[in-house]
Amino acid sequence: MNMFTLAQKSLLNRKSTVLLTLLTIAVSVMLLLGVERIRTQAKASFANTISGTDLIVGARTGSTNLLLYSVFRIGHATHNVNWQTYENIKKHRAVKWAIPLSLGDSHKGFPVLGTSTDYFKHYQFGKKQHLSFSQGHAFEKPFDIVLGAAIAKKLDYKLNDEIVVSHGAGNTSFHHHDEHPFTVVGILKPTGTPLDKTLHLPLSAIETIHNSGHHDHKHLNSDLIGEPKQITAFLLGLKSRIQVLTLQRSINTDTKLTNNEALLAIIPGLTLRQLWEMLSMVEQVLLVISGFVVVSGLLGMLTSLLTSLNQRRRELAILRSLGARPWQIGMLLVSESVLLTATGCILGIGLLYAVQLITSAQLQEISGLQLSLTWLTQHEMLLIAGVLISGFLVGLIPAWRAYKYSLSDGMSIRV
Amino acid sequence: MLLKFSVIFDFKLMISIKALSFSWPKQKEAILKINELDIKKGESIFLQGPSGCGKSTLLSLLAGINQPSSGSIEILNTNLSDLSAGKRDKFRADHIGYIFQMFNLLPYLSVIENVVLACEFSKKRKMKALQKSKTLTDEAKRLLDHLEIPEHLFDQNILNLSIGQQQRVASARALIGSPELLIADEPTSALDQASREAFIKLLFKECKTAGTTLLFVSHDETLKPLFERYLCLKTINEASI
Repeated sequence: MNMFTLAQKSLLNRKSTVLLTLLTIAVSVMLLLGVERIRTQAKASFANTISGTDLIVGARTGSTNLLLYSVFRIGHATHNVNWQTYENIKKHRAVKWAIPLSLGDSHKGFPVLGTSTDYFKHYQFGKKQHLSFSQGHAFEKPFDIVLGAAIAKKLDYKLNDEIVVSHGAGNTSFHHHDEHPFTVVGILKPTGTPLDKTLHLPLSAIETIHNSGHHDHKHLNSDLIGEPKQITAFLLGLKSRIQVLTLQRSINTDTKLTNNEALLAIIPGLTLRQLWEMLSMVEQVLLVISGFVVVSGLLGMLTSLLTSLNQRRRELAILRSLGARPWQIGMLLVSESVLLTATGCILGIGLLYAVQLITSAQLQEISGLQLSLTWLTQHEMLLIAGVLISGFLVGLIPAWRAYKYSLSDGMSIRV
Repeated sequence: MLLKFSVIFDFKLMISIKALSFSWPKQKEAILKINELDIKKGESIFLQGPSGCGKSTLLSLLAGINQPSSGSIEILNTNLSDLSAGKRDKFRADHIGYIFQMFNLLPYLSVIENVVLACEFSKKRKMKALQKSKTLTDEAKRLLDHLEIPEHLFDQNILNLSIGQQQRVASARALIGSPELLIADEPTSALDQASREAFIKLLFKECKTAGTTLLFVSHDETLKPLFERYLCLKTINEASI
């Protein structure tokens, strides 16, 4: 029986306080790892929202604003882009593909996107993943609709269901376009991006719902583009990445190319990073707060060890009488804090996985954030190592105290 | 070498105190002054003294917790002042069994674990114990049996034991690995008259078989006739307190 087993038995003898201490440490470790996990995975999923797109073009506004409304469906465009200009740029020799985006309508609070079939062909997210269907196919007729995974699940829509889409982006839109029901022809696989909450319509359908007053069904059966006058924004894929900067500059400055329209072209990856940097303050603050939670957990341990120490002076004197050296008695106390911290960390990791398992579905529904149940990353291991080292350092305080006691008390019992 | 030393050392002596004085740091007055005291091996000594006559000071000096301000204490011909603090701890672990007044046992260990614990800090005592029995647990059981602890209590929590039983378990711990000296500091003060004598007789028996010198400290004079030799600390302590 060495000092470590002795520490173990001594801790087991003080179950209730030890259990509480363990719980404090476990919860604080769970918080620390949880925040770290959300932080890194939010960052990753944020950066993974759009990929493979070289430029996003919209009416001139702030670059963050353009990114927010075209990709994240947050906010509104103040101006639109003329269809003719879109056609103009699309014809540029550097452009490989172009996807028109028409936003601004909603269905039960979810955004509606008018686009072309190229969207399903060229749009990429994550690590250059293409969109794929869990059921059905892309729209083929003007009144076909394709749903994001989250919408289909949340609103319980199935293939061939009929849906009414309203004009305007609010949830409580009074002006419903009841005369135009759409048929669900496809449901996309989950992407973990705002796309999961989007309803996709042919561009012509957007035009039709806006002109609901006078029915004009002349291109009902074949034309999915129609004759739109304006779109909200568009995505460009270029033949070569080398041309990205040149074309970006042309769109931003060349009035001939843009028909005198004031446009803004952004590189999505770059703007995503800028946006994240704006948010990173919050992220850092979160990490610091959870760091302090760990500190308070360890302080709780310190308190309970120091309080118990005074009642344990007899125990220390007995050990001294048996020939235990003062440093061995210090070791006993250090062992106790190391044991407590280590067990607390293991418990905390367990709690983290348990909480993640239970809440991952809701978390994804609320925030679109998909936390994967991965094994601890190297960074997380480092954090845990940091907690363990702090636990050891905190343990030095009662150890020092015990060392002092055992020197001064010797074998006389002072309780 | 050995022969030469044998001339100087008296191998029959357990404890030899010469011109000892002790005062607490920053205090001029000595609280303990003993000119000469020899205790032979195998003796059973009754050291009597009311509280406040330097009893616990003497015991802490004998155990090597504190060091004399001047003079020497030799145990088994080893001058404790010559040893470093660590060596003194080891010396205590190897050669001295100690019994406190009460609450001698660690509450989080079983009866057997408490007894075996003494061997944790001394390889010497561990080896001696293993010479007597196959395992330390066996040796603990043997001693507990001799000290009349019923077997069903061996694996119990010590809180289930009476105070008398606890003191006998403490004695087993002090005796395991046959240390040369056993210091018992008022071990019977929490016991009633009948169990006092029974306890002391058991202790005698075990000390005799192990050849252990017993230094029994108490203020209770009624126990005096049971012992071979009687020392009154008040008389031998020349410090004016």
